[in-house]
Amino acid sequence: MTLVRRTLDWTYVAAGVLAACCLIAILGLIVIQMLARWTGEVFPGAPEYAGYFMAAASFLAFANALSRGSHIRVSIVLNALPPRGKRMLEIWCFAIGTVTAWYFVYFAVRFVYWSWRFNDISQGQDRTELWIPQSFVLAGAIIFAVALTDNLLNLIFKGEHRISRDQIEQGLGG
Amino acid sequence: MEDASIIVLFLFVLFLLLGSGVWVGLSLIGVAWVGMELFTTRPVGDTMLTTIWSSSSSWTLTALPLFIWMGEILYRTRLSEDMFRGLSPWMKSLPGGLVHTNIVGCTVFAAVSGSSAATLTTVGKMSIPELRKRNYPEPMVIGTLAGAATLGLMIPPSLTLIVYGVTINESISKLFFAGIVPGLVLAAMFMSYVAIYSRVSRSWNPAEEPPMSFSERVANSRFLIPVVCLILVVIGSMYLGYATATEAAAFGVIGGLLLAAGQGSLNWKTFAQSLMGATRTSAMIALILAGAAFLSLSMGFTGLPRGLADLIAQWELSRFELLMVLLVFYIILGCFLDGISSVVLTMAVVEPMIRDAGIDLIWFGIFIVVVVEMAQITPPIGFNLFVLQGMTHHEMNFIAKSAIPMFMIMVLMVFVLIAVPDLATWLPDQMRQRP
Repeated sequence: MTLVRRTLDWTYVAAGVLAACCLIAILGLIVIQMLARWTGEVFPGAPEYAGYFMAAASFLAFANALSRGSHIRVSIVLNALPPRGKRMLEIWCFAIGTVTAWYFVYFAVRFVYWSWRFNDISQGQDRTELWIPQSFVLAGAIIFAVALTDNLLNLIFKGEHRISRDQIEQGLGG
Repeated sequence: MEDASIIVLFLFVLFLLLGSGVWVGLSLIGVAWVGMELFTTRPVGDTMLTTIWSSSSSWTLTALPLFIWMGEILYRTRLSEDMFRGLSPWMKSLPGGLVHTNIVGCTVFAAVSGSSAATLTTVGKMSIPELRKRNYPEPMVIGTLAGAATLGLMIPPSLTLIVYGVTINESISKLFFAGIVPGLVLAAMFMSYVAIYSRVSRSWNPAEEPPMSFSERVANSRFLIPVVCLILVVIGSMYLGYATATEAAAFGVIGGLLLAAGQGSLNWKTFAQSLMGATRTSAMIALILAGAAFLSLSMGFTGLPRGLADLIAQWELSRFELLMVLLVFYIILGCFLDGISSVVLTMAVVEPMIRDAGIDLIWFGIFIVVVVEMAQITPPIGFNLFVLQGMTHHEMNFIAKSAIPMFMIMVLMVFVLIAVPDLATWLPDQMRQRP
């Protein structure tokens, strides 16, 4: 059991680190593009590549953001309830989240499959085969769905989810 | 709107999901799904994927994580101490004294960070204990901090404005420049309030500051020079048309890293923390934006935006009346939702109304930011209030009460903005376009 636990936690963090690498890649791409423009060169497709990294960075970090409590939610009702009611409502929230995420994954699999099958190519100058960047989105979505399921099961069987909240950090977005 | 009961069902699901605490981004996806199922015969899942993929992989969006990262880097530097030390010698002779360091400090930090909570913590960490030591009235110290920190949302780079720009497809640099003058005017209004208060109030007797020569003052503020340079580079490069918002953000990250390295506060730990913090915050916003993209598509099918716009047109509201309705609406919404969520949630519905009424969308961006700023300092979920509570351990009531004057000033600001729309639209019109 601890092996499963450790693998899952490791996966969320690893996906987050990969997302962070995508951010660095975005930074790198933009710098290279600027340098290219100033020296009169052209770097075709840089905006498209940056966009792909953006999507990958977002989706890969979803699970990590979830387990650190970064995702925003309206918690007025949750905080007002007694522990028992709070737990029931939390189960409802995680259940909705889990269903939504797996629904997304199901269609994401089809989406990537058809991109690959029809050999969809980007309309931009980059001519990327779209299934490649799309698979990162799919991978991120799967990890996110797993993380939500993981929390839901913990909530049902152990009585608490595994999200540690950091109030200040949650606020940095707003 | 052909079928009112279906619309009611749709809205009910929206409030049920959001209100019960389902994460905002996932709620939006869920509601959008319901809307699509009710109002169209399209394949919902596949449409969802196409929409979310194209909105999540957009180039304009890349400004977001980079500006967040820049703020995260500077948040972890010694800027907090430097800010107070550098600003206080210049502020002490103003009426209102060192309370102005709160406001000016927030304004400066707002120019490197897009978030008001980060602005609040950075400035407050140092100024709260220092001002207390000097016997400044506590409500003033806390109130001004809560109010001025919201400038983080208005003065570029502003995360709320990026999100707004992405949602309605407007130029982010233009929105940024639209925010500068109103931001400074708001800061000036806060400062005038402090000055007047200090003259009128009887309980105002802070400790005297020791006199300081001009060269000493300069010596004390020399640490602020790099930050000011960084701000000038980031904002100037956009203004002169050398860089897009994303490119300016890249300057900001690199400049921030150099600045942190220069003061010796850059090490592997702070680097990793800032990067991971930025990754998570930007993922949080990206999830909301993904949900919002799908929801606005779905909203289109429900006919709700068009219907409401027609309804508003039927009522023949004047522009002013429409803005007042929206003001009240957003203040109420802001009691339950954070700024970014309320912007993305409502824009699909509000945008057609605004366009029909002939209101400039850049100007409206600033309007909406001032209004959601107010929500940051109103209970029950004003975020700045929570951060302040964590920092000062005061009762929530006390903090909220201290912030009321600032809230009133912001309401005043809304009217100033309506009376003088040029405040927001003049500067973006002066911007040089890139060839």
